[in-house]
Amino acid sequence: MTTRSPSLLPRSASAPGLLVLAGAGLFLAAVDAYVVVAALLRMLTSVGIPVLPAANLERGTTIVTGFLLGYLAVMPLAGGLSDRFGRLRTFGACLVLFAIGSLLTATAGSLGQLVAGRVLQGAGGGGLVPVVLALAADLYGGARRTTALGGVSGLQELGSVLGPIWGGVLAAISAQGWRWIFALNLFFAAGLLAALWPGIRQRPARLPQAPLDLVGALLAAAALALLVVALYAGDPQRSPVGSGFWWQAPLAILLIVLFVIRERRARAPLIDVRHFRDSGFTGAALTNALAGAGLMVALVFIPVLAQSSVFSLDPRQASFLLFRLLLGIPIGALAGGVIAGRLRSNRGVAAIGMLIAAFAFALLAGWNQDALRGHLLGTPLRVADLELFSAGFGLGLEIAPVSAALLDLVSDAERGAAAAFLVIARMVGMLLGFSAVAGFGLYQFDRVTARLTPPLFSLRPDYAVRLAQYELQLRQAILDQYHTIFTIAAALVLAGALIAAASLRPPRVRA
Amino acid sequence: MSALRPSGARAAARLSATGLCVALLCACGSTPPDPAALVRQTSAHMNGLHAFHFTMAVQGFTGSAMPVRSAEGDARPPDLHARVQLAEGGVLLEVETIVAGGRVYLKSFTGGWQPLTSAEVAQLFDVQALFDPKVGLFSAMAATAGPADGTQQSVGGHSTWTVTGRLDGTRVHDLLPVAQAQGEDSATYWIEAPSTLWRASLSGRLFDPAKEATITFDFSAHDHPVTITPPPLG
Repeated sequence: MTTRSPSLLPRSASAPGLLVLAGAGLFLAAVDAYVVVAALLRMLTSVGIPVLPAANLERGTTIVTGFLLGYLAVMPLAGGLSDRFGRLRTFGACLVLFAIGSLLTATAGSLGQLVAGRVLQGAGGGGLVPVVLALAADLYGGARRTTALGGVSGLQELGSVLGPIWGGVLAAISAQGWRWIFALNLFFAAGLLAALWPGIRQRPARLPQAPLDLVGALLAAAALALLVVALYAGDPQRSPVGSGFWWQAPLAILLIVLFVIRERRARAPLIDVRHFRDSGFTGAALTNALAGAGLMVALVFIPVLAQSSVFSLDPRQASFLLFRLLLGIPIGALAGGVIAGRLRSNRGVAAIGMLIAAFAFALLAGWNQDALRGHLLGTPLRVADLELFSAGFGLGLEIAPVSAALLDLVSDAERGAAAAFLVIARMVGMLLGFSAVAGFGLYQFDRVTARLTPPLFSLRPDYAVRLAQYELQLRQAILDQYHTIFTIAAALVLAGALIAAASLRPPRVRA
Repeated sequence: MSALRPSGARAAARLSATGLCVALLCACGSTPPDPAALVRQTSAHMNGLHAFHFTMAVQGFTGSAMPVRSAEGDARPPDLHARVQLAEGGVLLEVETIVAGGRVYLKSFTGGWQPLTSAEVAQLFDVQALFDPKVGLFSAMAATAGPADGTQQSVGGHSTWTVTGRLDGTRVHDLLPVAQAQGEDSATYWIEAPSTLWRASLSGRLFDPAKEATITFDFSAHDHPVTITPPPLG
């Protein structure tokens, strides 16, 4: 385990060079995960989807959920596929998938094509993650392996922090500027493929193959897709969930039960479901999922609110506002690792991180039209900046202790799979939390605005007054919807804090 | 024409391009029909339709007077039910309108249905005029000046002849009151012989004396049954 496995690699390749190229691919995909959040409204407008009535905005959520679904469908399989077909070939295939998705998105004239492109980008991007981690583990052994894996993971985190800014800046250039986000992906992907081509061409050595649990992966992906459909509020005037919720949700649960049965019998399960009997393991997974749900809600709805008629920012300004939260995540993550190690407490640090985040979300839920005005005691900082930063900091703080608590519970051989499972748990939380919260928010908005009719243009003297009144009420309705969304998110994160406090174990003492 | 297989039609088109066998083509019946007659017949046929589906898309300069970007709906003249997309501050908003029983109803992007007075309708984009039998698009067709043959083009899988011509600005203003009633605009019709209109476009300085814009209408589901009822108010 401690030596490099040269049989996997092209003879001519240098380890650092390969890792840098593979890491760059991972970075590219990570940037894309949240790149759309500040560009969402522009993208919808470009493909002819109106933002009001609210039912149309719900259609726009598929741009976000499509990527996450593609990601979750492929990620559990890609590691096993790369054992069979070679790391670099699987990496190349994922990158091609990502590029095709980018091309579809960049050229989309309809929402359908846009979402199809995002699903493929997610599938390619999700596939890259385990392949690059496995490649890093192949290339380096021993202590250097931890550094290599840490470096690769750090690149991924950095990409997801920079993604919204990159997207916001490009989207702000012009009405169609967002297309550059995806067009540029093609150049980057082509460059990476060309650089890795000598390695991709070489026939990879055959590795001992564990059976690939295709059935399990399909069941899990189908269950998730069905849950997303069930939570999709196609008609937010009538219901905060989909019209088929009553049969889709039970069917999805049935699929999850089948998945569990399958995983218990499979020779090489995607995840050893027996771990869930351990409350520490289940608690860590749930905490991570709830943190993901809170994060995704903030990632999408802060830029949307910023660009609504309440604050009227452009995509670039909206992404800079979100950056305060994004900046808090890596700082919190570093602090969480250090503090949890010093205090030897996973439970306390994770719970406090989630509590800080829940409190910050509750404060965010109280934003009104003046939220972005007023500076703090003569400093350039606003209260809003601190609230956003605290939300990110709290969500960052829980990452290391929750991961450590879960990884301590599995054997050394299972660590790779368990680390991937943590990412998956977070993504599942993002997907389901966001789907549910978006539906409820739009339902709330529709209820508030059901009797709010805009005045028709007329030459009557009271027209200007009535229009101003209407705009005030509309802005208040948008804020009300936003209050609902962030109150639910705060409750979810608070639940995560309670679960973490109740279930996580202290760090294991190592000899 | 209908007896020709697609490959035969392509071959015939190639011959027509080289201008060799005009007589043969006439015998086959795939020569362009007389454009004036085609437009006249189509105008009468479309005005006589019980119902159809339509989309409308606006491109080019529109200015603040014309926020409409597109519309889609069903018409059962004089009744109509359409969703209309408006551009407002960089994003699209959608409103819904129903014309039924001589009244116009509007459902804006928030709130419920409200009936409009004719004065209010006049302030907005008046959809009633679009397909009005007297002033609408189909009767304007009959007034197309200088109709000329175009090419054979496929629209949504239908083989059509294009006919180009000019429409007086006042006619365009009649069917689309937000358009300028000045000068002349160019019109193109995509007609499947003998008289089915699949697409029509109007272009010119529609909304500004100096800037070009184009409106394209697509039609489908000719004479399919459509019912349009007044909406529940509130």
